Amino acid sequence: MPSPARTRTRFTDSDALLPTLVAGALIFIIVFIGYPVAYNLAMSFQEVTLGNIRDFARPFVGLENYQALVADPLFWPVLRNTAIFVITNVVLQVLLGLGLAMFFLQDFPGAAWMRGMILAGWILPPLVIAAVFKWLFASNGGLINEALMGAGLTAQPVNFLSDTATAMATVTFTNVWFGTPFAMILLSAGLANLPRDVFEAAQIDGAGTLTRFTRITVPLLMPTLLAVTCLCTIYTLRAFDVIWGMTGGGPANTTNVLPVWSFQLSFQQFNFAQGAVIATMMFALVILVALLYIRSIRSELRA
Amino acid sequence: MRITRRQTLALAGAAPIAAPALVQAQARTISLWHVFNLETEAYMREGVRDWNAQNPNQRIEERIIPFAQYRTELVRAIATGDVPDLCVIDNPDTPSFAAQNQLTDLTQRVATSERIRASVYHTGPWSTAQWRGRTFAVPRDSNTIALYINHEMFRAAGLDPARPPGTWPDLFAAARRLTSADGRVSGLMFSARAAEDATFQWLPFLWQAGGDIDRLDGPEALDALRFWVECVTSGVSSRDVLTVSQSEGVNRLISGNAAMAISGPWDTPRVSQQARFEWSVAQLPVRGEGREIHASGLGGWNWAIPQGTRNADAAWRLIEHMSRPEHMAQSWRSGRLPPRTDVPVENPVYAQAFRAYSEQILTARPRGPHPRWPDISRPIQTAIQSALTGQAPPDVALRMAATAIRPILQQTPLRG
Repeated sequence: MPSPARTRTRFTDSDALLPTLVAGALIFIIVFIGYPVAYNLAMSFQEVTLGNIRDFARPFVGLENYQALVADPLFWPVLRNTAIFVITNVVLQVLLGLGLAMFFLQDFPGAAWMRGMILAGWILPPLVIAAVFKWLFASNGGLINEALMGAGLTAQPVNFLSDTATAMATVTFTNVWFGTPFAMILLSAGLANLPRDVFEAAQIDGAGTLTRFTRITVPLLMPTLLAVTCLCTIYTLRAFDVIWGMTGGGPANTTNVLPVWSFQLSFQQFNFAQGAVIATMMFALVILVALLYIRSIRSELRA
Repeated sequence: MRITRRQTLALAGAAPIAAPALVQAQARTISLWHVFNLETEAYMREGVRDWNAQNPNQRIEERIIPFAQYRTELVRAIATGDVPDLCVIDNPDTPSFAAQNQLTDLTQRVATSERIRASVYHTGPWSTAQWRGRTFAVPRDSNTIALYINHEMFRAAGLDPARPPGTWPDLFAAARRLTSADGRVSGLMFSARAAEDATFQWLPFLWQAGGDIDRLDGPEALDALRFWVECVTSGVSSRDVLTVSQSEGVNRLISGNAAMAISGPWDTPRVSQQARFEWSVAQLPVRGEGREIHASGLGGWNWAIPQGTRNADAAWRLIEHMSRPEHMAQSWRSGRLPPRTDVPVENPVYAQAFRAYSEQILTARPRGPHPRWPDISRPIQTAIQSALTGQAPPDVALRMAATAIRPILQQTPLRG
């Protein structure tokens, strides 16, 4: 115990601790997040080539890059693909995650082991997952087609990745497989924190399983559900590796989404300015979703 | 003098920061970026070892980057100003970097060099290293594509592997006989995936039909694309051509899931080691029915000295060193052909493949050269994929590609 006569308090006890920590975090955010975002924003209004990419002061072209991008025949298809990909992924991941979390709430032999196995899917590097699933979904010699044909479900192989009608569904399936464990874990934690006594009271009052779920579980879990939905949306908006590894945005741009297109523009076609335009648009989208997330956390903290 | 704890900590913190500067001052190094796996690429490994032995004061510091990430890394290096002294560049990309002033102009050095002279290089590779009459790179190796065939499957289908198909109709008929009824074995594998592979593999067919990139809406291009569409719709080529790379197509040949595969000599070592059947490499067939144009694609790597390095002289001497015939002759051991006419390869391994590819490369054409090659390649890939999936009929798909490419070629003509 420090004696009252000591004039110096330890730093960790002093009033200077909180502002210092906050300042440290702020500096980190400004340098590693704020600066790249500002740089990107600036780039989207400039004419950028390999020759001037090192400079900060490049020719200013106003909204020319934005106009060129919107006029590109790929713009609306890519935007549509992104919307479909994100919405489908989020809905499926949250629903499946919730279902799995509820399933594992029950204590049955092997539950913990099974939950760990599911999590293994999320730990794998996404490019590895892309490579494996690309092989599984192959039209000739792919395991899934062999199983389908062997079980007599289809006579001809399904062209999962080489048909414009099914490619998006296939990469969505793979991304859902990849992302659901994350949603499951978060929702499991949320479920574990629900107060037991409310459920017991409801059961005594005669509420059935479905009523308990819809009237108690879901409303109580709503802050967590909102948080998980926001996080899933943000992660899926950024999803690049699975699509890149499986189809490269094809066939014929049917699985081309914003991050893939941005990569192609910047690193394959040397069109850095338009790549920056896409990045800026995505940033705006993600900020909106992130603001929703913050609001949902705040209500969770308050509750 | 007693050193306090704080002073010790300060010294400990400063030492790692100062150390690299000291090391740098003593040993000058040449930084070299490339894509080659040193275990299998004898040319690179022994050339570098040889240089280091002769130049202990200017050792090579290699950085090996996987092919898929290579161009991205190079762009990033240029953006941060942290370029290597010497690097390799894929030959269709070289004009893009040269036209944007990112490569050191080597014209003067070539003029005074004894070893690097235009006359000594094959015209195809040399043309990819030029831009507007000046030299910006030096060819390192060349490759092309031809037809791998499985002799056992040929004989089982009643075909003679010593007389591989010589025309498109022959190729299609042979592939038909080689395709199994249950779809497990494809007659012919090629690559039509959403990447440069598709363009690289289709251009030979376009050229053999008598067409070219500036006439994609012409009848020759339609002829060439229709052939690919027919291969896929008839089932002689698996739909997976839309997703596999060239090497993955060869994997199917090796595993017995394809009887023929179009690919280059970079896959030859692997086929030689892993195939459990007799195989050989055949020339790409010509169009037939009146057109006898031999053509294939030209791939390969060029040496280049990025703009902004302070070690250009040492890098140039390294290029000359690596261009010595006795070193270049080693490149065939990993399936890469020398781009020079004065490099005899004695007793080449995979002898039949060497003869076949050496013959095919005589009719190989470079892509472009054009500084906006990626902007030309992408619409072609989309057209190919659109037609092969049935999303659009081939003529519509090609017309869209032609429309996208026309303004680019108007701004800078091909071979301009």
